[in-house]
Formats: sequence, structure tokens, C-alpha cells
Amino acid sequence: MAIAKAERLMNLALCLMNTRRPVSKRELRASIEAYHEIGSDEAFNRMFERDKDDLRELGMVIETVESLDGEIGYLARRDRNRLPEIALDAEEAAALSLAAKVWQQARFAEAASGALQKLRAAGVPFHDEGDGDEGVREQSGHSALEPRIPTPEPAFEPLMVATRERRPVAFDYRKANAVRPEPRQVEPWALECWRGHWYLAGWDRDRTAVRVFRLSRITGRVRTRGGAFTTEVPDHVDVRAAVASWAGEGATATARIRLRRDSGYPLRARAVETIPVDADWDELEIPYGHGLDAWLVEFGPDVVVLGPDELRADVVDRLRAVAKG
Amino acid sequence: MANAIDQTRRMLSLVTYLRERPGARVSDVARAFGVTEAELIGDLNVLPLCGTSFRGGDLLDIDTDGERIWWHNVDDVAQPLRLAADEAAALLVAARAVANLPGLRESDRQALLRATAKIEGAAGEAAGASSRLSVTFESEGSVFADVDRAIAERRRLWIRYYSPSRDELTEREVDPIRLFAVGHTYFEGWCYLSEDRRTFRLDRVAEIRLLDTPSDPPRIEPRDLSQGLVQPAGDDPEVVIEVGPGGRWVAEYYPHDLAEELPDGGLRITLRTPDPGSLRRLALRLGRDGRIVSPADLSGSARDAAAQALAAYGE
Repeated sequence: MAIAKAERLMNLALCLMNTRRPVSKRELRASIEAYHEIGSDEAFNRMFERDKDDLRELGMVIETVESLDGEIGYLARRDRNRLPEIALDAEEAAALSLAAKVWQQARFAEAASGALQKLRAAGVPFHDEGDGDEGVREQSGHSALEPRIPTPEPAFEPLMVATRERRPVAFDYRKANAVRPEPRQVEPWALECWRGHWYLAGWDRDRTAVRVFRLSRITGRVRTRGGAFTTEVPDHVDVRAAVASWAGEGATATARIRLRRDSGYPLRARAVETIPVDADWDELEIPYGHGLDAWLVEFGPDVVVLGPDELRADVVDRLRAVAKG
Repeated sequence: MANAIDQTRRMLSLVTYLRERPGARVSDVARAFGVTEAELIGDLNVLPLCGTSFRGGDLLDIDTDGERIWWHNVDDVAQPLRLAADEAAALLVAARAVANLPGLRESDRQALLRATAKIEGAAGEAAGASSRLSVTFESEGSVFADVDRAIAERRRLWIRYYSPSRDELTEREVDPIRLFAVGHTYFEGWCYLSEDRRTFRLDRVAEIRLLDTPSDPPRIEPRDLSQGLVQPAGDDPEVVIEVGPGGRWVAEYYPHDLAEELPDGGLRITLRTPDPGSLRRLALRLGRDGRIVSPADLSGSARDAAAQALAAYGE
């Protein structure tokens, strides 16, 4: 019954914001019609606790005050709940509302549009444009860009909350080459989306080291553990640097290959040096990072590795496996 | 139908918003709040059931004739509410991601950075959590700027474009329609070489020039990006790939119909593609981590390519 609940939450919110003194649970129960229907004290208490949590999720600061006679009262002070003055000009508002559309994940998409609603209610001059293709094209002066953050895996939401609240988590994780997933206990530090994939960086308690996990390799549920972090969360966590090095970037070594003329454009684009050999072949010097062997094999007979020997052996090894079928 | 929390959030902003706007139009307010008119009417049906204080307070006397909205006992019952942690994070992470996109117009970048600083200030401690979350869009700045300009000036583009599936560069004229970023940055346009709508990844554009020819693409529906970039058609040929544990990544990168667990920790993946030949690269890349089961000619072509390549090493 979504309507009934929204009505109840709205009544509770208005009550708490429009009182000057703390209001007791008893007074709230008597005053809000939706609470009348609840028979048992226990059911009411549960519902009331949940409702307060829901309002807090919307950003409301609800204070708990104990009165002289020992009764607990609640109130949402205006000064603590007010959005501070925020003066965005039309340009800033437009840029922000474009950026806010990037989320496709339900929770953040709703949060972003809720934030814009609050800003709009506070008088930020958003241009109420009708969306769509034509609208995007007409608004010259701005980049005609539609950025989208890919919808993350189910593990994203619990990890996001755990990261924010600094709670240790446990999950099963399948490493790239592992036959089976293994249980991990992690203190989650930061989440980052790079090249369309989400990663978690954190302290792996069993390995007692920093680890980066790819969310798509987390199997099953993320469980939150009690207790606090045992490690200091660093100010800056460079998830991308770790991932990029797996992707073979930032390599300092180089390799020499022969490449058939007019093929392998991405290898050429990356080459440090390119020398024509004869009518059909060029010789290239290219960065040699992690994963280069697998990439070179993709080019089949259009690439021949000249060195180093180790890379040459890896490539030959892979080719043999494919040739065997 | 949005859930009760989202509806409550919206209604709280609505009472602040309506206070300043007597007789506001239903259509305008619905658009401003990003909801359908029916959803807005739903909110307007709930608001009169809401009291303004805990004891004997008046109910909100808000009503609508379906066209305009009237609030008869306008009162200062709510104020623009401070941002919640999720809300601040959603805005700030998004704004930082877009602001860092190489090639974005400088005026847009500056506007976003100013907006970000102001939101950080207004959000206070709620902004803190956003630093634990980040998104990077990859983009080729100069290509981005050219495509952006071509769209704004409605001009045709000439590009040299790399197609990895064929390992070749082709020259094409394209009327660009839009730029979008999903991890990588792409543009969509009408391609005169294929006489069809095509999507191009910016880092595969080897060369780009703006032509003086005005862009004149046929009217086409923009692609629905929420369904993913690759959307195989039902009648595309089927490919079956078996991978070991080391080849499980294939299921993360290739949209597929089916991925069945194998006893050795591997997967049997069934996918459809308009051009199975393009998967020869994948078969070569997999090496001992996997093989194409069918079609047979595809696995045969990978084997032949590997044998030919080995010949150059004297095998």
C-alpha cells in the first residue's frame, strides 16, 4: 500500500518539522491517523522506527530529546533541516541537470532527481526543458552529450552503504582464473567505475593487504559484519591505477614485432617506432605490459613477435593451443 | 510507480514549490518534477490528507481541477530540505565524472565545477560520502570536440574508423546525431558507407574532419541505451563457446543468451551475432582458456589462422 505509507510519512514529516517542542511517541500516535489503525504497541513501535529511518534517508535530521519527566520526544528543527542558501545561475543549473541524468541505477537515479527537486523547490533556476532528441540538438552552446553510468551489479548497493558507514563486509569472490569462488572479508574503502565496470578497493582481512575487486565477480550476497575497521582508510584510493596496470597500461618495457602492412591499426597507434621492412611488412616497437601476448595472438598471422624471447614463447604457446583446437 | 519514500521526498519539495506559485499548471509542475501528470495528480490526492502539525493542525487545502493547482491555506509548512547523503553523492559523483570528461566544452566544465563546489558547500557533511565513489568516462578529447562541434553546427563528418572485428580502417561520411558515454564515449550517426545507423567508439576514430556539407540524417529513433550497446537480433546466427575458468570474462564482455556452468569451473556460453567471423579474434585470444564449439567453420578458421601464424616461427 504505497499511498498509505507515503501519506503516513508525509504526516510524520510535517508534524516533526512544525513543532517547536519535542513531541512524544504517544502524541504522534494519537495525532497521525495512519497510526490509529495499528493495534499492538509492538507493531506501532516497529513501524515508527522504520518511518523515522525512512525520513532520515531523505535527509531529515530528527532529534531525540529526553524531557524532565523522562519521556522521549522527537523533533526536526528547521534550522538543522533547511537546505542552506544555494545560488546556482542558469548555466550551472543546466550543467548540473544534464549530469544528474547519468544514473541508471534505480536508487541513485531517484536520489539525483530528488536532489534536483529540492534544489528546484529552493529556487534554483532549472530550465524545464522537454527532453528528447530535438531538445538536445537545439541547446547549442552546450556539449550535446548524454553520459550514462552503467547499471552496476547487485553487489553495488550494499557495498556503497557499507563503504559510507565503514562497515566490514563478507562476500564470495571468484578470481579471474579461479575454478571456484572463495570467501573474502573486506573493509570496503572506495568504489570506482572505469571503462564501464565497477570495482571495489579495500583492505582484505585474510590477506592483510589492499585488494581491488571487480563487482561482476562477486557471487552471491554481500553480508555486512559487525565491528569497526581495523585499518585507517587512506584519503585517496587509486582504484584505477591498479586496474589499468592489469590492462597492460603504464608499461615501461617494450617489445619488437613485425606487422603486416595496413593491418593492426591500434598497435600502430601505440607504437614508439615504426620502420618499413619490405613491401608487405613493417617493424614496430610497442609498449610491453600485462596481457600483450593475448592481444597479439588476436592478429593471427599478421603479427610476428621478434622479442623479447619470453613474449615470443608466450605467443607461440597460445597459438599452439588454438591450432590444436 | 515510484515507492513511498520517493513519493514522500517529492511531496515535501512540492509543498515548498507550490507555495511560491499559486495556480501553477499541472503540466508545468509535472515536467519540473520529472513525473507524469497522473503521478502528480496522485501526489495532489494525498496532500489534502496531510496535517500541518501534531495537534489540531489544519489539513493542507490543496486542490486541482486537473489543469491548475490551488493551495487555499498557503502556509510555511515545509522548507527546502537539506540534501541526504545519497542525494549529495548522486549529484556530486555525476557532476565530477562529467566535468572530467576529456573534450567537454570548457564553458560546461567550468559551470559544472562551480555547481559542484556550491553543492558541496550546501550539502555539508552529507557530501563526505561522495568522495568514496567515483566514475571515469574515457574519451578522446580532440575527437569528442570535433563531433560535438559537428552536431552543434549540423555538419557532416569524414572519419577513418577502425573496426576491430575485421582489423581494418574504413573511410566513411557520417551525419552525427548524438554523443554518449557509457564507460567509453561513442557517437551515433547516419553512416553513408553502410547506409544505416551506426555507433562509433571515439578511441577507434583514427582521423576526423568536419565537412562543409550540412548534416542531413534521416529521422531515426535514438537507440535505447538502457538495453546495452549490443543488441543482437533474434535471427542472428548462434555461436557456442566453451571456456575454462580463465575464460569466464567472455561472459562479462559479450552479451549472451545463456551461460551454463561447467564442472571444471568454466562456462558454456551461447550468444548470437550478425557476423560470427568477427569472433575469430576471440577464439585466437582465448588460447587454451576456451574454444568455439560451433559453428564449425569459425573454429576451423581460428585453427587455420593459428597454424599460419606458427609457420612464421618455423613450426
